[in-house]
Order: sequence, then C-alpha cells, then structure tokens
Amino acid sequence: MSDKTAAMAPRSEASLPAGWSARGIPFVQIALLALAAAALVILPFAVTGYVLYIANLLLVFVVLCLGLHLVIGETGQFALAHAAFYGIGIYTSGLAGNAFGWPFPLSMLLAGLIAGAVGVVIGAVALRMRDIYLALATFAFGEAMQWVFLNWDRVTGGPNGLRISPARLGAFEILSDKQAYPVVVVMALLMLVLTIIISRSRLGRAFRAVRESEVAAMAMGVPVRRAKIVAFGLSAFYAGVAGSMFATFSTYIHPDSLGFQTTILVLTMVVVGGLGSIAGAVGGAIAFGLISEVLRQTPSYQEIIYGLILIVFMMYAPRGVFAFIRDRMGRAARG
Amino acid sequence: MADHLLQVHDLTVKFGGLTAVNRFDISVERGTIHALIGPNGAGKSTTFNCISRFYQPTTGTILLDGTDVTTMPASAMARLGVARTFQNLELFGELTVFENVMIGAHVHAGRTWRDALSARPPEVAEHAEHLLERTGLTAYRHTRARNLDFGHQKLLELARALAIRPRLLLLDEPAAGLRNREIAALDALLTDLCRREGITILLVEHVMQLVMAISDRITVLNFGTKIAEGTPEDVRNDPAVIEAYLGQEMAHA
Amino acid sequence: MTLEVALLFLQQGIASGLVVGSVYALLALAIVVIFKTSEVPNFSQGEMVMAAGYIALYLLVFRNLPLWVVMPATILAAFAGAALFRRLILNQVARANGSPVNLVIATLGLSYVLRGFVRQTGFGDTPRSFPPVIEPQSIMIGQASVTTLDLVILATAVVVMAAFFWMFKYTKVGRAMRAVGMNPKAAQLVGVDLTRIHMIVWGLSGAISAVAALLISPKVLMTADMGSIVTLGFAAAIVGGFTSLPGAVVGGFLIGIIENLVGLFVTSRAIVLAPFLAIMLVLVIRPQGLFGGRVEIKKV
Repeated sequence: MSDKTAAMAPRSEASLPAGWSARGIPFVQIALLALAAAALVILPFAVTGYVLYIANLLLVFVVLCLGLHLVIGETGQFALAHAAFYGIGIYTSGLAGNAFGWPFPLSMLLAGLIAGAVGVVIGAVALRMRDIYLALATFAFGEAMQWVFLNWDRVTGGPNGLRISPARLGAFEILSDKQAYPVVVVMALLMLVLTIIISRSRLGRAFRAVRESEVAAMAMGVPVRRAKIVAFGLSAFYAGVAGSMFATFSTYIHPDSLGFQTTILVLTMVVVGGLGSIAGAVGGAIAFGLISEVLRQTPSYQEIIYGLILIVFMMYAPRGVFAFIRDRMGRAARG
Repeated sequence: MADHLLQVHDLTVKFGGLTAVNRFDISVERGTIHALIGPNGAGKSTTFNCISRFYQPTTGTILLDGTDVTTMPASAMARLGVARTFQNLELFGELTVFENVMIGAHVHAGRTWRDALSARPPEVAEHAEHLLERTGLTAYRHTRARNLDFGHQKLLELARALAIRPRLLLLDEPAAGLRNREIAALDALLTDLCRREGITILLVEHVMQLVMAISDRITVLNFGTKIAEGTPEDVRNDPAVIEAYLGQEMAHA
Repeated sequence: MTLEVALLFLQQGIASGLVVGSVYALLALAIVVIFKTSEVPNFSQGEMVMAAGYIALYLLVFRNLPLWVVMPATILAAFAGAALFRRLILNQVARANGSPVNLVIATLGLSYVLRGFVRQTGFGDTPRSFPPVIEPQSIMIGQASVTTLDLVILATAVVVMAAFFWMFKYTKVGRAMRAVGMNPKAAQLVGVDLTRIHMIVWGLSGAISAVAALLISPKVLMTADMGSIVTLGFAAAIVGGFTSLPGAVVGGFLIGIIENLVGLFVTSRAIVLAPFLAIMLVLVIRPQGLFGGRVEIKKV
C-alpha cells in the first residue's frame, strides 16, 4: 500500500471524539453551534410554555443519551438498566426536595451520586459477564427496580406515583418550565462538557480500548474490569442527573415511565444517532425526542413508526445518521 | 552465571483431562532474542499465554527478574515492563494508528485522577510519534487500524507493544503472513531493538528463516514437553527436532 | 403456615407450574434456537407469540373458520412471516457494516411494529379472550386442581418439543442447523446454504411461537402487550443455559414452577418479580445456566 492511499484515507478523529473534524476549523459545525447557542438563549423569550417544556424534556434526553453513550458507545458494554438509574435520580431529587426541602443544586448532585453509587455496585457484579449476559442481567435489574418503584409505596408512592414539590433555592422556587429552563440548559451543557473531557482523556482512551479488544487492553495495562465499572457508574450518574433535571420541571412521576421502554428509547436514540459519537448521542436525543413527543398522541402509530425507523436505519444507516450523512457528503465530495 | 530476565520453572497446564504443557522450563537471558518453536499443537501458545498471564498455569512458577508473577493478572504485566503481541492480531480496529499506540503508553501516564482526565500528555504523544517513525507508520497516523493492510497491521501491533517501553517483549508469530521483504524488515527491526536498546525478546514462531537468523537461543517444544534447546546450530542438527518436524521446515531453513 | 397447607401449595404450584412451564419451555426453545444459530437474542419473540395469537383470533372469530383450519394456518403464517423477516430484513442488516447489536435492535424494531400494528387495527384495543379448544373441566391430581385444558396444553407442548428434538437430531435440516450454530463458515464450506438455514430457523421459531400462542391464549387475556410474556421465556432460557436446547425446556418448567410457588407462598405481587430475580441470580452464580457449556475462555 503506497503513501498515496494513506493521504486519501479519510482523516480520522485522532484526539477529538468522533463526529468532530480534526482538520482545523470546521466552519459548518461552528456555524451550527453558534446557531444552536443563539437559539438556546433566545428560546425562553420567544416561545410558549409548552415548547419550553419540550425543550427541557429534550435536554433531559440529551443527558440520558450522553450517559448511555459513555457505557455503550465508548466502552462497548451493553448495559440496559438506564431507566432504573433515571428513576433513582428522579425519586432522590424529588424526595430530597419534598421531604427535606433541600435546595435543588444539592439535590441534583445527590441524585447523580446515589444513582452513580448504585451503578458502581451493580456494575461490580454484572460486569463479570459479557455481551448478551450483561445485557440480560442489566435488563433484569432494570425491571426489578421498576417493580421496586411500583411497590415501595412509602417512598415512591407506588402505583399512585409521586407528587414532586417545586425545586427551590433559598426563597426562589421553580414554578414553571420557563423558570426551570436555565437550570436545565446549564446542567445539560455541563454534562456535555464533561463528556467531551472524558472522551478526549486517557480515561476515554481506556474505554475505547476495552470496547475494541479487551484482551489487547489488558495486555496494554488497562485495568479492564475497573474501566468497565467506572463507565457503568458514570452512565448511572448521568442518568441520575438527568432524573434530577426532570424533577425540576415536573410535578409528578409514575413508575410506568421508568422501565425497559424508556431504556430502549434512549438506546434507540444513541444507536440511530450514531453509536460511539457524542454528536450522534446529542443529535439522536433531539431528533428522536421530537418524534417521540409528536407521536405521543397516537401511541399505536408511535410504535409502528419507531419500529420502522429502527428497522430501516439498521438496514441502511447502520452506523447512525451522522455517519450516514458524512459518508454521503464524503462520497459527493470525491465526485 | 547467566542473567535471566525471565525464568519459567516446572510449568504445567492442564485443560480438563488434557495436558497441554508438561513440566516445562525455560530461561531467557537478559538482552537476548530467544525463540520458542515446535510443531502445531505443541503447547507454544499455551506457554506464551501463561507467561503473559492470560492463562493460569496448573502448577509451576514464572519469575520476572526475580519477582514471582505466576498469579498476577494479565493487566499487571504491562506495568512490569512486559509487552506482547497476538497471533491473531488484537488491534483496536476502529481507532486510528496513533490512538492505538497512545494506549500502549497508558501505563506511563501516571495514576492520579488528573492524569486520567488529561488529554495528551506531551511526553506520551512524543513517544508515540517516535514509535510510528521507527516502524514506518507515520503516514498512516490517522488511518483506522482496520483499514491498514496486513503487513502494516502487524507493525502496528509491534509499535503498540513498544509503547509500553518493555524490557521483555513477547511476540506471538510476528512473521506469520508476511512477505519476504517484510520479514527482512522485521529481522532488522527486532535485531535493532535487542542489540541497541537491550530489549529482551521471546518469540513464538513458525517461520524458520526468521528464527534461525535472529535467535540467540532456541527452545523446542513438542507435545507440551521440551525436546531440545540451544543455539540455532544445535537445534538445526538435533535429531529429535528433525523428527518432530519430519524434516520439512528444517530442510528449508 | 401449617405443613398441610404448605404441601397443598407445593403440589398446586408444581402442577400449575408444569402446565404454564411447558409453554415457557416452548418460548425458551424458540429463543434459543435462534440464538444458537445466529447469536441474536430475539427481543421480538413475545410479539411473535402475540401476533400469532391475534391471527388465530381473527381467523377464528372474524372469519369463522373452524379450529382445525385455524391452527395450521396460524402456524404456517407465523413460519412464513418469521422466515421472511429474516430473509428480507435481517439479512440486509447483517450485510450492512454495523455492529452486531444492530441485529438485536432490528428485532426490537419488529416488536414495536407488531405491537403498534395490532393496536392500530382496532383489534388490540380491548382485551379479548380466546375460545378454548375444549371446555375446561376441573380435575384433581393429588391435592392439586387443574383443568382438562391444562392437560391438553401440557401434552401438546411436550409432543411439539419432542418432534422438534427429533427433527433437530435426525434430519438433514436439523444437522445443518447444528452445523451453522457451531461454525457458520465451516458449515458454508461443506455446502450448507446459510441464508436458507437462517430462514428455516427463524421460521421454526415463529412456528413454535405460534404453537405457544395457541396454547396460552385460552388461559390469558389477550392484549397487544401480552408479548411481555417473553421475559419468562428469556428467564427460562437463561436458567437452562442460553445455548442449550434441552436446557431451555428444563428452564421453562422450572420457571413455571417457581413462578407459581412464589405466587402461592409469597404474594401474588411478587410473581412479576420472580423471573427477573431468577435471571439475576443465575447470571451471577452460574452464568452458563444449568446446561450451558463452560463459559468460553477466549482463544488468544
């Protein structure tokens, strides 16, 4: 193979996470980012409460997807208990506020930490298994947690759900989507920045090594088991934080939305957006979140369309939307 | 008394009822190239995997520079300066050439949380670049490992292993599948690594041309037992070895 | 709880457990036969059962076809549907160069489509009941109370399983399936048509699911969500050892019995939890299940 071939080989993302160009300034992406930033800032002043609610919800999905991206996309561990940790986050945050009147920054941190701690414990047990067994074990755990949410009436309100009192900080109370919005945006941005830092770091490299070849990772001195547990714990932390974000703009939570369906929804977002790419996780969250909301009114259509999207994407855009678009653009550029 | 970096005593490995390796001894002198050869199924890979700690020996001891590593986990070996390559290539396929080598440098990047979150410690990146130059892979820096051709993939495995800055390099059939030109280049590279940098090399190999050319010492394994050991000359002429191979490879070496 | 009551519960639990367990065994068989040959856990297995049940219901109640026509028609339809899914969709997914999980996600997609479709046709909007093939009469076995229908279910399930094992072991197709399960490339080299075998495997899985549907539908309320029964199938497969066909059967019976015993001895609330606990316990204590081979050490 000559050097010419190498020069033509697509410049891959050396130290930046996949989805970002390594070649200097990517004008298109910067423009998009600027647009997104502007939109984020203007939004609360320009739209109705409902749209802001959707925006808040999408940002929650973004954080959920980033968490799943870390454990599945970067580390290759198919952990399917995400909704359980999301639930733990919501209940922790809600209860810390309801029962103890904690200020929301504290309850949000607590939500993430507790979810993360449970994640580490479960991970230590489950991550001895591989692939399908890990998926099934975490799936079972997720369902068991939902059962706990449904039956631990005293703490979670059981089948009646839990009323969440407004988040507060001192005298300030969050009583509307508009008021919650800045908090939600800031949290989402923080988690995004955290994800980028992790991905570019030695830890992120260790995650990817584990994903690509556990055996080689071991030979290279990567503590594989520890890396997996950290990844899993982190994803649980993210889910917990996402839950606490949800608790800032919601007044009610019911265990029905804390089961496998939700985990699968997040998985779908990540896979369709592009497994292994931060942009894919974010994009998938927003796109699918919108589709999900739009279709919420017609549950049966929603299911059919989801299913078809999944099937079609797996058939023709197996590496996700962004990779698909990039491939097409790359092919067009080469003429 | 020779200075042995690696000493394996009485190694026995049983899988169920099958004894793959039977009371095997091998000692590798520091700063030398030592080859482990034998017909297919002789137990070479099993021995190799025990030394690199991927398999657990049933009995026996493995000493690295006097330290007993027999029960250490595989991921502990890199920090002790032991690097290995894999027979079936275990590259990080989706990652670039550069990223592959960077992971090899993982062990030397410090153990604190700040180190864990740091992106590219400069010394580590420099070392990686240097290794790419050494193995001729600089042009492929940004190519995904799975897109390289076979010869370059093998070089990448080697470069990645070298990123650990090993004192002991375990090579599992490094020449398998290579063309003559590439084998010659490998010969030069390995000799260089050993003579100039003092890296001790233990290789499992079938390609006799390479084995005979670069080895200081050769150990021959058959049916899990040592049947011969010595210099290339000794081994080449050993009747037991010739019989084990049925004279095929020996005649061509 | 007195000893008497405990013994009564035990007998009842085992008897009822064996009946429903035979259906779980069929489900587990359907799951494992696909997993063994293509390493794909079929997350749409439950929906395949549900869809087959609704097809049967439709033919029976809305087309007024006699039962002896409806049953084979349903099984055939399920066979064809599953085989087509494999051929038209999964083949393409497998060919596209994504990660292996894409196949699993595709099966998830199918589960959504089937569920949504049944709900959409207005069929699945209210729970429906499936007319039983015979009028159930109570029988006592020891101190346990079962119905004649139960016995028919158990017997049928056992016969179907036996037929399946016979086919798997003694026919050319069965041998080809086994070969593909062990080493697809090698099987291809000796002339096995992978595409055809995969289609047959999926078709068989669909057919078995249809049988399970026909057996269980009279006993449960049919809804578009009845596919959630698949969890029990997965639990059974895991307990038995995810790659073992006989294990799947044993697992099915075990799960059925455990489920019933939990319901009797603990609380009916806990019944739903039982399979998940079983899954977690087995995977932690003995991941290869009862009959799975030793968990393979990767060859380096």
